[in-house]
Amino acid sequence: MNSTPTPSPPEVEIADLSKSFAAVRALDRVSVRFRAGRVHAILGENGAGKSTLVKCLMGYYRADGGQILVDGRQRLMLHPRDAHALGLGMVYQHFTLVPQMTVAENFLLGRERLPAIIDWGREHAALDAFMTRMPFRLDPRRLVATLAAGEKQKLEILKQLYLNRRFIVLDEPTSVLTPAEADEVLGEIRRLADASLLTVVFITHKLREVVRFAQDVSILRGGKVVAQTEVVAASEPSLARMMFDAPASAEKTDRSRRSASRATDPYLELAGIHAVGDRGTPAVIGASLSVCPGEIVGVAGVSGNGQKELVQILAGQRDRHAGSVRVGGQAFRGTRRELERWGVSLLIEEPLANAAVPSMSVMENLALRQFDRPPIAIAGFVLKRRALYPFAHALISRYGIRTGSASAPLQTLSGGNIQRTVLARELARAVRLLIMQNPCFGLDVAAAGEIRRQIMRARNDGAAVLLISEDLDEVLELSDRVLVMASGRISYETDRAGADRYEIGRHMTEGMARLSA
Amino acid sequence: MPATAQGPASRDAQPWPRRERGFSTDTLESLLLSLIAMAAAGLLFGVFLAAQGHDALAVYRTLYLGAFGTRFSIESTLTQAAPLLLTALCTLIPARVGLLVIGGEGAVVLGGLGAALAGVALGGASEVVGTVLTIAAGALAGGLWIGAAGALKHFRGVNETISTLLLNYIAIALLNHLVSGPIRDFSQTLKAQSWSIPKGFMIGNIPGLSVHWGLLIGLVVCAALHLLVRHTTFGFAMDILGGNRRAAQMTGLPIGRLILIPCFLGGAAAGLAGAIEIVAVHGAASESLVVGLGYAGILVAFLARQNALAVVLVALVLGGISASGGLLQRRFDIPHAATTVLQGLIFLCVLASGTFRGRLLPRRWAA
Amino acid sequence: MTGTFDLGWWGVPLAIVAGAIRVSTPYLLVSLGETLTEKSGRVNLGLEGTLVLGAMSAFATCYLTGSPWLGMLAAGVAGSALGLLHATICNLPRVNDIAVGIALFIFGIGLAFFLGKPFIEPRAAMLPGLPLGNWSDNPAIRSAFEISPMFFVGIALAIILEWGFTNTRWGLILRIAGESADAARAIGLSVHRVRTLATMAGGFLSGLGGGFLSLYYPGNWNEGLSSGQGLMAIALVIFARWRPLRCFYASLLFGGATAIGPAVQTVGISEGYYLFYAAPYLLTLGLLIYSSSRTRTLAGAPSELSISR
Repeated sequence: MNSTPTPSPPEVEIADLSKSFAAVRALDRVSVRFRAGRVHAILGENGAGKSTLVKCLMGYYRADGGQILVDGRQRLMLHPRDAHALGLGMVYQHFTLVPQMTVAENFLLGRERLPAIIDWGREHAALDAFMTRMPFRLDPRRLVATLAAGEKQKLEILKQLYLNRRFIVLDEPTSVLTPAEADEVLGEIRRLADASLLTVVFITHKLREVVRFAQDVSILRGGKVVAQTEVVAASEPSLARMMFDAPASAEKTDRSRRSASRATDPYLELAGIHAVGDRGTPAVIGASLSVCPGEIVGVAGVSGNGQKELVQILAGQRDRHAGSVRVGGQAFRGTRRELERWGVSLLIEEPLANAAVPSMSVMENLALRQFDRPPIAIAGFVLKRRALYPFAHALISRYGIRTGSASAPLQTLSGGNIQRTVLARELARAVRLLIMQNPCFGLDVAAAGEIRRQIMRARNDGAAVLLISEDLDEVLELSDRVLVMASGRISYETDRAGADRYEIGRHMTEGMARLSA
Repeated sequence: MPATAQGPASRDAQPWPRRERGFSTDTLESLLLSLIAMAAAGLLFGVFLAAQGHDALAVYRTLYLGAFGTRFSIESTLTQAAPLLLTALCTLIPARVGLLVIGGEGAVVLGGLGAALAGVALGGASEVVGTVLTIAAGALAGGLWIGAAGALKHFRGVNETISTLLLNYIAIALLNHLVSGPIRDFSQTLKAQSWSIPKGFMIGNIPGLSVHWGLLIGLVVCAALHLLVRHTTFGFAMDILGGNRRAAQMTGLPIGRLILIPCFLGGAAAGLAGAIEIVAVHGAASESLVVGLGYAGILVAFLARQNALAVVLVALVLGGISASGGLLQRRFDIPHAATTVLQGLIFLCVLASGTFRGRLLPRRWAA
Repeated sequence: MTGTFDLGWWGVPLAIVAGAIRVSTPYLLVSLGETLTEKSGRVNLGLEGTLVLGAMSAFATCYLTGSPWLGMLAAGVAGSALGLLHATICNLPRVNDIAVGIALFIFGIGLAFFLGKPFIEPRAAMLPGLPLGNWSDNPAIRSAFEISPMFFVGIALAIILEWGFTNTRWGLILRIAGESADAARAIGLSVHRVRTLATMAGGFLSGLGGGFLSLYYPGNWNEGLSSGQGLMAIALVIFARWRPLRCFYASLLFGGATAIGPAVQTVGISEGYYLFYAAPYLLTLGLLIYSSSRTRTLAGAPSELSISR
């Protein structure tokens, strides 16, 4: 335990930092100055490069170009240990705590040297003393698994302070906190910075937090810094404008004149869906929506607000605790017969993990929906493997899947081609209900455009389309109606004509604030 | 109105390229890895024996002689291999849906018990009917036994490896209990055994070979299973579940059925082996059913890399090793347990070789 | 076991208690060993083989050297050698530790029977017991309360381990390797080394358990010596929720269940002997069913354990 006087918080500067992953340029000559003893917010949408930036700073990634300066001296960050040695620490979005150990044990584990026999009496006393100097308090004897998300977040921050880190990066620190907890945590952070104890950088997409707690803000978009300002010179609307500015090029999709006639019955109906997430906390709370044939309903929202769980329920990968799903007016349980009968196709995010079999060949994956029907199956039981070849090859050429051989295991293909494979499988049939989740994530502009064309074609041919996406541009471009999902609830609805991106953006980011904890 | 999404302008479907037929690199690599593993195990075994003061080369020669050297040894090998063909399936079939079942021993015992009881109960039936029903009863008993483990896994999340291992011991205890009392034939004084099934229900040897029909039954079942796995939609669905449970869920596959049926089939195969032991060899249930057929079957399944056709080859090799055990014992005074040691070594080497999967042979998958 | 003509029916619970103490000792040692291994994030299903090999090594060494304590040491060494083998293979990427356990089960038993052939007939010196029943004149009570020091070693170990998991650096390191390999690596630990050492220690204890079987009770070496005790220890560990003291209580429970059969036999009931014999397995299966749940992972299981995922 340290009783040394605290050194002053460092000033860190990033100059011309660049980082690419394969062909994707995640950071493009980014320069930011984090002034000592101040709170700096990094604002941007998903995929803008915020996480990459801080991970380069912390030594998790090695930047391709540019420099990192700490207190004016250039430093090489090759490993997190290098960052730790300079007093830089990071609190992640996903907790790095060990759930089955106590708070005290989690503290101790980060220490360089541990005594062979641990005198818990002394350690607990020392931790209690440490806590009295800290903005938040936790009982060191508690098991981490019993802590609420907010307490875990505080523990992560306390750990950094315990380990004498004076420059702390927080990656979306309030994404799992209630508005009250968020205010408390950020308020304390600001106080520590004001007391010249810390330099803080926090990544967020919530404008309100930036305005209330940060002193400087940098806005990232597509790996570039598009704006930098002091918070006193900004406001929520001005920040929203800088953040959600229209992209340079937007492909105009062919939208047929035919709009969904509201007189038809909804094809897909969700009513009062309740579900619990992996951690045991409620993930979807009373979600209801409906989609009519020939319309695209887009659900906008920031990642982590229940979209993943909702899609899993529709895909039969998660049980729902309450509520009903109806397709074509009938109860829907996701059996193979129902999927075929109602013409349901799903395009889920991370297809390799969720919607395909990595070890099976491209050919077999393409046949996942059709393998028990002619021409591949005879009488629904006998499998004609030979029939797989022409079936697969037709799809491979039609959808431009690049693979050395149709027998190659799916996992050997690039991400884009895996996406195309799943797309081919799902779309090359009679589609009447299309459920898509982040369909264009990780794809280049051309491929993304192609997928959007597919979606429009399906819609124009009368399919009901549910599009769940974290890309607001995509939602606005394609949807006939826009919904916002925040905190597991559907919190806003508007139709295409009345859609105002700033209004929607505000609901996306403020859904949690409007609802009480 | 249904919508069909069209891709970019269609080109004519490409003709089926010739080079896609035949052995895939995966199969070749699996074969190679298993061979290397067996060679390594054989080497280690030789070293082990040499350390004991035996002439390793002479032992190898005797192993071969005892397995394939004479007509008699070939027949012994086939006799030893016959039940392994079936007990391997008890591990293999559930493995294809991602379960690790090691309950072959118990299923064999249940199969033997079921067959013995059915055979005795059906005393008055005609020969053909009686034989068929006796064997079927054994298969059913084994199937229900492992099927129960599958149900525990699906409905209750009970780890199938531990549950089937426990069921092994429970089955053996049940056998011992029944055979020493309730169904005991007290006229047999040599050892405790159950009442015997009617002589007419016993099956004889394949004409021209001193090996019972069980061998053929085993071959047929393996072939049928291979057909099921590779050439039916059910087998394809099993592959999907074994490959990625989420993918199986989102394509609407019936997960429960895909777990229970393979477990039942695997248990039925091992139960069939037990029933054959009754109708072809012993005629009555006794502790002779508990000779490690199930455990050897696990090894066969792993060595065959869960491929039903490879099981035939592997069963022959392991059957050969078992068959030469007696010869080794007589010639070199090596305890019968030597074959178990060799089996264990092979198993370990096969498992260790699995780490080279995908890295041994170059792949030509580049897009 | 001597006759109970003096005690009549009281002989049965006495035999059960005595049996429980006696029979529980190998369960205790093996389950403590497996707790160590599983706390580090590995399952070792090969403990049955380790147990048998340990039994053989102990008997052989004792027979050859005349010292039962040397025999116990040999048993422990043999056990940790198998543990080392298990860990080395499991450390290779993409190797399934459950399958390796089964392979070691077969290998260990084969090795034990092979090397142990010459030792089946002869008798070796036995481990001494502590005569805690000498206050009585009744020979039945005397023999019932002759308890092996290994029992007390087991209790001591259970206490030490229970304390050590939370109060020593080693305990902390062990647990983090079993809870989160990522977190362990993040603080610079070699997860492989921790698991190897834990598996070797587990093997050592299992070997000792086997030594107890051949050098104390039943006190001979033959090929039917163990029947699934190694496996039941695995289920015992799950039932005990990976807590050493609970392993002790559970071992007593299992020991008692196993001892019912022989105890009942002493009053002349020989029917259904084998069913009593199945009691511990049924108990284990029942406990396993009780502890498992379709959606939740086993409570208290180290998160890195493959059977709890």
